[in-house]
Amino acid sequence: MNEQRRRILHMLAEGRITADEAERLIDALERERPESPRGATPRPKPRPKYLRVVVHSTDDAGGDGPSRVDIQIPLQLLRAGVRLTSLVPPQALTRINAEMHKSGVPIDLTELKPQHLEELLEQLDEVTVDVDDPDGKVRVFCE
Amino acid sequence: MIPQLVTVRHRRPDGRRRRLYIPVLPVLLVLSPLLLLAVLAGLIACLATRVSPVGALRGTGRLLWALPGTRFEIEQGKTAVLVSVR
Repeated sequence: MNEQRRRILHMLAEGRITADEAERLIDALERERPESPRGATPRPKPRPKYLRVVVHSTDDAGGDGPSRVDIQIPLQLLRAGVRLTSLVPPQALTRINAEMHKSGVPIDLTELKPQHLEELLEQLDEVTVDVDDPDGKVRVFCE
Repeated sequence: MIPQLVTVRHRRPDGRRRRLYIPVLPVLLVLSPLLLLAVLAGLIACLATRVSPVGALRGTGRLLWALPGTRFEIEQGKTAVLVSVR
């Protein structure tokens, strides 16, 4: 409690001002006070650093009991990996494209530029995937 | 910063646990002769495949630098494996 508010309450307790006056004074104080940090100045959300993949499976098909997978990968590592793709020689990309086309996946990897992948990673911060199944649960998110 | 410590934890089905702490820098120093050979082989491979050796070295460095914070934890029943890079 700040000093001015305390003085107003003290004046109210002594009967020097009425409850309505005290309320008006406190309201005026709050209007004068600069906006609190939790009010209109929200801090920018910190950027996520890690991509997390968490899998809980209660499916006991192997007879070993439930399984759990928890993977944490720094987003910086994903970016470094994406930058490495720019080193793949064009002739290799052409061969990969041909093989993928043969397998029924008509994706042209030569069209996939590093800057596109960078943009994709930039937006990955907001991605959250939740899969709920009676036998398990999968969560993919950034934190 | 390059990784400093790799921790590997393993829990067997019989409940026995094994922890392995690998200090990266000392291990790299010990293996430096082999590392040098590997770098040379990599450079030759880059030249053979017409990939920029400088770009490849830079990319590998970036990958190495970005590794700290990586963590894999897999648990199935009583068996568990944890690999953590710090």
